[in-house]
Amino acid sequence: MRALVRRLPGVAMVSLAASCPASAPAQESYTDSVTGTLVRFEMVKVPGTDLWIGRTEVTWDLYDAFALSRPDSSEGRSTVDAVARPTRPYGAPDYGWGHAGFPVISVAYTAAQAFGEWLSAKTGKKYRLPTESEWEHVARLAAGTSTDALAWHVANAGGTTHAVGAKPADALGLHDLFGNAAEWVTVRSGRPVVRGGSFRDAAQAIGPSARAVQDDTWNERDPQIPQSRWWMSDAPFVGFRIVREP
Amino acid sequence: MTDDTSGRFSRRTFVKTTTMATAGLVLPRTLSALTPDAASAEVIRIGVIGCGGRGSGAARDVMRAGGEGVQIVAMGDLFPDRLERARANLAKVASEDAMVEKQFKVTPETLFSGFDAYQKVLATDIDMVILATPPGFRPVHLAAAVAAGKHIFMEKPVAVDAAGVRSVIASAAAAKSKNLAIVAGTQRRHDPAYVSVMRRVHDGAIGELTGGEVYWNQGGLWNAARQAGWSDVEWQIRNWLYFTWASGDHIVEQHIHNIDVANWAMGAHPVRAVGVGGRQWRTDGAYGHIFDHFAIDFEYPNGAHVMSMCRQIDGTANFVGERFVGTRGTTDPSSRITGQQSFTFAGEKKNPYVEEHVDLLASIRTGKPLNEGQQVAQTTLSAIMGREAAYTGQAIVWDELLNASQDLAPPQTGFGSLAVPPVAMPGTTKVARTWNG
Repeated sequence: MRALVRRLPGVAMVSLAASCPASAPAQESYTDSVTGTLVRFEMVKVPGTDLWIGRTEVTWDLYDAFALSRPDSSEGRSTVDAVARPTRPYGAPDYGWGHAGFPVISVAYTAAQAFGEWLSAKTGKKYRLPTESEWEHVARLAAGTSTDALAWHVANAGGTTHAVGAKPADALGLHDLFGNAAEWVTVRSGRPVVRGGSFRDAAQAIGPSARAVQDDTWNERDPQIPQSRWWMSDAPFVGFRIVREP
Repeated sequence: MTDDTSGRFSRRTFVKTTTMATAGLVLPRTLSALTPDAASAEVIRIGVIGCGGRGSGAARDVMRAGGEGVQIVAMGDLFPDRLERARANLAKVASEDAMVEKQFKVTPETLFSGFDAYQKVLATDIDMVILATPPGFRPVHLAAAVAAGKHIFMEKPVAVDAAGVRSVIASAAAAKSKNLAIVAGTQRRHDPAYVSVMRRVHDGAIGELTGGEVYWNQGGLWNAARQAGWSDVEWQIRNWLYFTWASGDHIVEQHIHNIDVANWAMGAHPVRAVGVGGRQWRTDGAYGHIFDHFAIDFEYPNGAHVMSMCRQIDGTANFVGERFVGTRGTTDPSSRITGQQSFTFAGEKKNPYVEEHVDLLASIRTGKPLNEGQQVAQTTLSAIMGREAAYTGQAIVWDELLNASQDLAPPQTGFGSLAVPPVAMPGTTKVARTWNG
């Protein structure tokens, strides 16, 4: 196990280190990887559904494999059809708080969606953002322990995100569903929404019902026209988690 | 001093002032004799020179700042496709925003492309101009704008070489004598959080400043793949970031923001710089000849040293910010002071990219035009000083650099062939050089 942990970067290392509480029933899970990288990520079966959900928020390690690569034939499609890659940010979207093992932040809703398309093409599985109702279903199952103990919030986070999985797992075996980075979910129409609350919110304001609708302040200081459709200049509290359809 | 009345705004409203009476001088015209109501009733007509993402963004920001009191009436860019893209992007904003629809008033007759587009924009009936081309063009455009009697918003940096900085200093002085406003895109100077912290630092909240660190470390930036039919000049200007004659290199183009904060905190420009840098990761010819990392030791007049570090390399630790140390505390000037007089900014956060235009427009309307020309020229030379310390490997002294024979403008006057300048080599490269030196 020690050798395995040492060999795995970021996500897998953290999730192995912080295992589920003994009291929680172990959910079925699997570890996936991206060809050509050392990045691993873990998916957990959602009880009562055919759905799998990420044990942690998507990390920079995994997002960089998308954002910093060029389309290639391993995506299983022609380069003409390839998933577009994010533009290069002018600045530091991770704010220097931490990168390896930390949740990706400052990403636009459409960028998170494109990431899901890319990961699906890379793995041959169907990965995407959760719908709002899927996220709520997971949140109801996961809730049950004090969010103060499980979550990074304004009083314990010190103004930054933290490495995923640093807090104990919840009842479903997931980490950071509440707090740390708020998480994009798909909505039927209108402005995009994040759920769960973030490290900027008070402990009592995060949890299964926490919900924020994107507004202009999230990208207020992008000084370009058109504004980036990949990065948000003022949303260090926004990340995401993926689900897998059967 | 009578040629500053060509703009519609100034022609209609500028009047002679008696507050600066000096024997023998013809006085500049200002708005100071107007009542505030009369001044604010005037629409300030604005032209944009350089219509990339930032020029378009600055146009949007001044419209946010100015309300019905401003209009964008003319635009110019070297490339017709970039000009059209910017026009279409702003027209789209106008179609979605009733205020912008009233503000965005360019017509086919006021859209100009080509190397002389800036002259054509300046020849229109505008009161103010936004200068947002690649910085290598800035000194010439600024001089022309001042000569034409326009108020100016100009992006940073404002020059790429010693000759350009001297030109900007002269233009800033000329603007002052003509009561023209100059605000530069060093937007931290207009950020309420920075302003609030800096006021306390200057009032002694952390004692005497003894040192600091400034950073802009991030990954690589965009690159436009060369297309068939592009001349060398077109390829280099479309990829201006990667050519020192056009951008000044990334320490000047990007890290200037943090170096400006150092000068602001210290209340002075550095007197000496020693540093290292290189081109280690971004070595492909598509990325011109600039470096991808610098680390510079800036020495200030009081003997304090500020360590500067900037990098554009993928997969490395990111950080953008500043920190200063005093005899009684430390500060992250973006928000807080730690020490005997600890302070955390808790005021209203405002968008500094809009605030800089709010301040600029207010200064024009009250007849007390801001003039940041000298200040931003000094910051630009400070950044150039860091670049030259790394490029040459020598200790760079302020006065020598300011007076150096360094002019990086290529000899071309239009599109055509243009070699890629050599990558600078410490120990060999000289401060006194031309575009290919």
